[in-house]
Formats: sequence, C-alpha cells, structure tokens
Amino acid sequence: MSTIPPELLYTEDHEWIRVEGDVGTVGITDYAQHALGDITYVDLAQVGAEVAQGEEACAIESCKAASSVFAPVGGRIVEANAELADDPGRVNADCYGAGWLYKLAIASEAELSKLKTPADYEQIAAKD
Amino acid sequence: MNQRTALYAEQLRLGGRMVDFHGWDLPVQFESILTEHLHCREAAVVFDTSHMGQLRIRARPSALARVTTQNAGALAVGRCQYGFLLNEAAGILDDTILMRLGDEDFLLVVNAAPAAGDFAWVRTHLSEGDVVLQSADGGWCKLDLQGPKSAQVLAPLTDAPLRSLGYYHVVQARVCGHPCIVSRTGYTGELGYEIICGAESVPTIYGELLASDLVTPAGLGARDSLRLEMGYPLYGDDIDAGTTPFEASLGGFIRFDHDFIGSAALRAAGEPQRRRVAFAAASRQKAWAGNEIEHNGHAVGRITTAAFSPSLQVSIAQGYVPADLATPGAELIVKTPRRDLPVAVAHRPLYKHGTCRTKEIRTT
Repeated sequence: MSTIPPELLYTEDHEWIRVEGDVGTVGITDYAQHALGDITYVDLAQVGAEVAQGEEACAIESCKAASSVFAPVGGRIVEANAELADDPGRVNADCYGAGWLYKLAIASEAELSKLKTPADYEQIAAKD
Repeated sequence: MNQRTALYAEQLRLGGRMVDFHGWDLPVQFESILTEHLHCREAAVVFDTSHMGQLRIRARPSALARVTTQNAGALAVGRCQYGFLLNEAAGILDDTILMRLGDEDFLLVVNAAPAAGDFAWVRTHLSEGDVVLQSADGGWCKLDLQGPKSAQVLAPLTDAPLRSLGYYHVVQARVCGHPCIVSRTGYTGELGYEIICGAESVPTIYGELLASDLVTPAGLGARDSLRLEMGYPLYGDDIDAGTTPFEASLGGFIRFDHDFIGSAALRAAGEPQRRRVAFAAASRQKAWAGNEIEHNGHAVGRITTAAFSPSLQVSIAQGYVPADLATPGAELIVKTPRRDLPVAVAHRPLYKHGTCRTKEIRTT
C-alpha cells in the first residue's frame, strides 16, 4: 500500500503538489517511485522556464524507463532540487520530502481545482 | 501464456517483479536493481537462469568441432570454453559455453531465445552422435551463484572441489545431496558458479543458497548492468546472425586450429568495417537502445544496449561504430530523445575489479 499524504494535491500522472502561498512544490508519488524502481538520473527542471498545466517540466530515468514529470498547474519554475543531480535515489527514499523535484510560482489558482484530492488519487493508484 | 521456470512461484513469493523475457516470465528485480547489483560485487547473489538452453551432446570431439568455434578435441575434460555457433557466412547464431564432461560427453550452454534453433542446427550439422535439448520445460534448471563470496556460500553445500576448481573449469558433483553439474563460469565478472540440476532439486538448492546471510536473490536488471560493466555482449541485442565475431570485437575467442562452419568465411572476411565497442558517459543520463551515434555531426552507428552503471555511477552502453573510431578514448555523441549525450569509447571491462579469475578461493 503506497503512502498518500492528506495535505497534498495529486495528478492522474502520479505527481503531487504542496501549495504554500503562491508557490507549489512538486514531486512524484510513492506509487510512482515504486513503479519506476531505482531512479538513476533526474533531468532537472529549468529555473525560469514557464510551463503550462500538464506540460513536461522535468524528466526522471530509472533502471527500467525514462519518464516525463508534468506540471500539475501552470507557472514559472523558481527552483529545482539540485541535490538530485548527484543523489537521485532521494526520490525513492523520500519522495514527499528530500526527493522533491521543483518549485513553481503558480500562475492561476483556478487550475488547482482540476487536481485530485488524496481520496481521488487513492482510487487512481489502486486501479493502476 | 509465457513459460515459467520451476522457481516462478518461489520468486514471486520473494517479491520478484516479473517481466517477459523472450517468452519467459522472469523477475527483473526483487528489492532493487542497484542493491542487487552492488551485492553481487560485494558478497553474492543467485539468479534463476533455467530459461537458458542446454544441449547435451554425445559425439566424438572431431565431429562436434565441425559445428562450434570451440575446438572440442583440444578442450580437456573438466574444462569450459566460450565460443559461437556460426552460419556459413560467419554470422553469429548464438554465443555459447562448451563444457567437456567426458571424452565424448559435452554440454553446450546456449541462450534462451535461440535454443530451439541451436538444437535443430547442431542436430542437422553433427555428422554423428546424439544431441538432447535439456530445457526448463523438460525439467532442467540452472542457477547462477555469483559474487566474491560465492565459494564460501557453496562450499558447505557441495562435494565439488572448489579450491582447485579454476576459472572455466567444470565438475559433476553433488549440491545439497543432489547430482549437479557445477562450472566456475558466469556473466557478471565475479567469482561464481553455474549449477545445473533437475527441476526436482532446484527448490532445495535455491533455498539453501538463500539461507546464507551472504546471498540475496537477483533479477534480470542486475544481470544486465553487471554484464554491461564487463563489456559482455547480450545475444539478440549486441550480437546476432548479421554480426561476425570480428565485428563483435570477439575475435580473440576464434582459433583457426580446426575447420568449423563459418571458418572459411571468417578467414576470407578481412578487417571488419565496423566494430562493437563499449561506451561510458561522464553523466548519469542514460543512452537507449536504438539511439543514433554521431561523430563530427555524421551518424556513424547505433546504441545496442545501455544501462546505468551502479559501480561506476555513470551511464554505460554498447554499440557499433566504424572501425577507425573503435579505439578507447574516441569521443562521440549519442542522440538521446532528450538531448545530446557525450560518450567516450571505453576499455573493456569498464569495471576493473571483478573477481572471476581469482586464485584465492576462500571456502570458510
């Protein structure tokens, strides 16, 4: 059973976002990190880049696959987790904490309403 | 419905994540590919390799030597040799290990996908004698115990003389009381043993190996990154019937001390135009099979297999490049879907601390 913290919002593509003011911190869910297996490389998000909701913001590679990480909401990337360059295994070890991927300045709060609640996401993760 | 080995249920129970491998359901990993890989480099792991084919050949050595690049007559009883089944054009039908168990008793260990074709090929071309295909669906199994501590693990379970069993030696011995063939061979670069046994014996042997604190189960993922660190080819991906041993940079395993199918074509071929090489990147970013390789802006070849190297902490790969670029240090660009990845041709093995050839065998 994968962990789904109650204070976060989620996407169908297994990203999470923690909203604090107008900044969102984004990562991948416990379900996603477990499915991907050992993460060996994170192609970091580009600070300053503008991304639209659902657009690729960064990418991760595991022993098995390469996967895009999409922006849960549109905005401007304000920080990427540089620690992941040398230690991408943090995404496996602590996907909701030290394994966060990037922060973005949220362009439109209205887009948050399209995201999944923890209860909705639990059903998505159970189906996959 | 895929084929399953005798250990399928047990490996599921141990947390194996099953994938399709050439029609077999096999675990790609248990806990973690990285952990399994590093455990093999430091202690020992066991792989279920029962999907591989085994051809038991009873024939005069001179007859068998016509069919394989290995010279069966020059191979001493109790020894193994790596080589190939070639077609008339010297294309590689399979890469194999030939084991000589007796004067006219041989075991040819072959890959899973080409096994049935190999069997038909050998049976057709062997002028005399007898060939039997021993495979998992016929009750034959194989376990690969690999890692520097393999001898410590195996010694209490076997009467095989591990201290005198050198690299590429083979012996018929008992493991956990069951009759087996034990060879000091493998696909990881570490000290290790391949244990060939019947399906009725394999659950006990697998269980006893895993009962050691030194051993964890490992899957295909670690097997692949381990062999890539050694620069070993994967049949079907890095080498195939469209490749000669010289193109595959495996010419060192060819001896023209006997005539074999493909030897005339090999002799006539001259220097290869392209060669298989190993690559290392300076980055963790991976190349992918099929990616184009560029030199000075020109496409010169393709990646055949690739992985992240847990030992070297960079991405590594194999592929083919023109012969003039097949020299260590040559700098090339791999066109990955995301961006250009600079790589350099590397000396093989990429991982230099493998224990497979060690003469210091600790059994306690």
